[in-house]
Amino acid sequence: MGASMELNYRSLRSEKARFGKYIGGIVNQLLKVLAIIMIVGGFVMLFTGISIGWFVIGLAAIPAAITEWYDGELRQLRPLKNPKSIDDMLEGDILARLPAKPTPKNIATQVSSVPSGIFYAVRFGLTSRLLQDISSDDPQRTVYIWERAESLRQKLGKSDINAGMVIYSLLADFESHELLLAQLNIDLDDIEHGILWQYHLKSLIKSHDKPRRTGGIARDWSFGYIPLLTRFGQNISESLARGGHLNVSLDSRKESVNQLIDTFGSGGRQNAALVGAAGTGKSTVVYAFANKLLDAKSSIPSNLKFRQVFILDAASLIAAAPGRGELENLIMQVLSEAHSAKNIIICLDNAEMFFSEGVGTVDLTSVLVPILEAGNLRMILTLDEQRLLQIGQRNPQLMNALNRINIPPATRDETLSVLQDQLIMLEFKRKVTYTYQSLLESIRLSERYVHDVAQPGRALKLLEASAGYAESGLVTINSVQQAIEKTLDVKVSVASEASDRDKLLNLEQLIHERMINQTRAVQVVSDALRRARAGVRNQDRPIGTFLFLGPTGVGKTELAKALADVYFGGEASMVRLDLNEYVQNEDVSRLIADGANDPSSLTAQVMKQPFSVVLLDEIEKAHPNVLTALLQVLDEGILRDEKNREVSFRDAIVICTSNAGADRIRELVMRGQQPAQFEDQFIDELISSNQFKLEFINRFDEVVTFTPLTKADLLKVVDLMIAGVNKTLSVQKIKVEVASDAKEILVERGYDPRLGARPLRRVIQKAVENVVAKAVLAGQTGAGGTVQISATQVESILGTVEAANEIMKDTAMQ
Amino acid sequence: MLVVGFFSWWYGVGYKERFLLVRERLASTLDYFSIGLLLKTLFAPYKQISAGKVRGPLPVILRAWVDRSISRIIGAIVRIIVLVMGIIVITAVIAIGIITLLLWAIVPLAPLAGLLLYMWGWVPAWS
Repeated sequence: MGASMELNYRSLRSEKARFGKYIGGIVNQLLKVLAIIMIVGGFVMLFTGISIGWFVIGLAAIPAAITEWYDGELRQLRPLKNPKSIDDMLEGDILARLPAKPTPKNIATQVSSVPSGIFYAVRFGLTSRLLQDISSDDPQRTVYIWERAESLRQKLGKSDINAGMVIYSLLADFESHELLLAQLNIDLDDIEHGILWQYHLKSLIKSHDKPRRTGGIARDWSFGYIPLLTRFGQNISESLARGGHLNVSLDSRKESVNQLIDTFGSGGRQNAALVGAAGTGKSTVVYAFANKLLDAKSSIPSNLKFRQVFILDAASLIAAAPGRGELENLIMQVLSEAHSAKNIIICLDNAEMFFSEGVGTVDLTSVLVPILEAGNLRMILTLDEQRLLQIGQRNPQLMNALNRINIPPATRDETLSVLQDQLIMLEFKRKVTYTYQSLLESIRLSERYVHDVAQPGRALKLLEASAGYAESGLVTINSVQQAIEKTLDVKVSVASEASDRDKLLNLEQLIHERMINQTRAVQVVSDALRRARAGVRNQDRPIGTFLFLGPTGVGKTELAKALADVYFGGEASMVRLDLNEYVQNEDVSRLIADGANDPSSLTAQVMKQPFSVVLLDEIEKAHPNVLTALLQVLDEGILRDEKNREVSFRDAIVICTSNAGADRIRELVMRGQQPAQFEDQFIDELISSNQFKLEFINRFDEVVTFTPLTKADLLKVVDLMIAGVNKTLSVQKIKVEVASDAKEILVERGYDPRLGARPLRRVIQKAVENVVAKAVLAGQTGAGGTVQISATQVESILGTVEAANEIMKDTAMQ
Repeated sequence: MLVVGFFSWWYGVGYKERFLLVRERLASTLDYFSIGLLLKTLFAPYKQISAGKVRGPLPVILRAWVDRSISRIIGAIVRIIVLVMGIIVITAVIAIGIITLLLWAIVPLAPLAGLLLYMWGWVPAWS
């Protein structure tokens, strides 16, 4: 029969809990002092011949026994083995504070005031006020709270009902709990994880407090002296014995540690190569292994017990033996010392440093391979997969000699448990507290933005960086987002600042301040950006992918520039590639080149600047294989570079431009058709004429046909350009004003249906900028002055229509 | 009811935990003095000095054997000294443990014993 869900206020355990609460803390300390005073006083009395001293000493047993009772039982009341009612299982701290007939609100008040309840306030944001606000005043509901907590206890296989289980139950009893928890970026499953996390932390602290048996003073007397190793290596066993690492018994890496024990415990070759990407925790496995060897209680073969792990320091070895051949001799001495000592396991951390010649590295293959092949000296090598392959190509015998143990990147759940383990030291070092949500966010964002190391290293790296953005000592989701935003210059949080929101809502207007017409194109890119910053877009694709079609000089590139300038922090944050430079099959490798060799490759630029506008100009000229490589960018927002690293385009707007079919657009517009009317037919024509493949066109969010500019549009463009000139002159406090009829002449002379607005720039340079330059140099104007340009002046400068045509010819040639 | 709870803990779980504590202290002392290891390696060469195998003519082998024997004897002397010291400390730890367990049993009776001694009126003579 199950336990009753009624609280027995008068049960012995309830009484004990309340008594424990009364005599805890300062009272307990006072009782200890009282017992000491009474014993000392009693003896003084006896010394002076007063026999009542016996009674005083005897009475001292009462406070002494009570404090023993408190420390031994009452401080942490254990649950009963065969619980009859809820009070037999409830955590003592909570039980001590509950009234005889508690309502859910009473429970909420008390549960959030006990230390284990405060854990949920700090880690999850489930504060006392919040729990009280959602809890009912109806005592009839209390039984449901206990029932749910009890079923969770059974599900988790625990012996007591702790604060987390009660909080879980209080939340589940609240009708809109999903909505409430969603605001905290968690759900009930996360609370369940939190309960397990809390138990895990308790067990870690308990195991750390336990006395360790590490062999004692005579442990190493049967093993040899190791002066060279002590000089050129780091004894990690010693630092572990001194308590230098709180926790290296990571659950997620237990299997790898056991593989190491099997390798060294068996009679085969005594070496192991831990192979995995940087950040997977290879060194942690070595530490956990060393820790296990040092523990007298661990179940390992006796020939491994108390063996010590030394990490060789390549830099100090190289520094100590600069001459040719000296290093080989020194290494041989160090290794033979380790072999003679009989209790040493050598670890070559980042072993590639010992197998390749370079700065800070040395090729000791000829010395190390025979030792590894013989397998007499115990050695652990940690290596990056890629480097191992490179070394293996040169030394196949090395590959054969090694017992390989793969350390794969951690899964999401494994990463979470590693973070939870490592948090203890991290919080101690950085004097901060991490919320549970910050852990999840660091995993999510590190997956996306941290490329140089694998999990769990990448999440840990981000978490460490986030400590610098803690608010009142608390690291929250916001701290993690800020760490990413500040280090990578991306925007990962939902727009919350008023200025940011205003900018997004008025994006079209802001873009139109520097470009004319093309309202549809402006609209689609603005919408995409708003979706991204409101957090409603597909996170596994770029912010937006657009193909802009249209003749030269209609604003395709200008829109990309305007967008970069208005929202992405300036035109410099635009990644621009002219695909007419990628017309060969071999150019694909240039596109994805490693940043160390070619910083201008697409992958290198986007890796450096993930939050950007990626402009791929003249896409129709690119080699088909280049376009095929780009398909993955358009589809999944990912492109792998030549080192097979994933480069994310998921925070970029990808804009491709093309002049393909420009003449056809002009023809259709001349016939009086609007792009909306002919766009579909036009795209079909591009596909049927093999200028683009259907699967390529289909990958874009939007294909926008740009309209050729009318003369009215060009008048506005002239205004924008003159505003640009005035902006430049504003430093010298000089203004330029162009008469309306003069502007019309500028448009007339600067307009070409083939080149759009492009010739206008040169016309304005000649008719406006040159005039102002001459006026300034001749001293005809100065600070505060205005240069007036009339139609007559413009005509005299630009001359006849023929002269203007010359300008256009020059522009076209450029 | 609390008084019953106190006595049942004192002579039940409390007593058992006190016993485990005494046992833990003893185990820690044994570990500190490496008693098991010292016994197992009593005659092993000290710090592997002259421990390696030597090949060569008979005089060289004999000399190595003598060196190794000296190393073993030095090792044994050092280990025996530590063993003796360890045994003394361990005996003390056991004695303190037994006294603690005995005292634990009589602590609840101390007020009554004190009262009886007081009523008897006897005080020890200090000089």
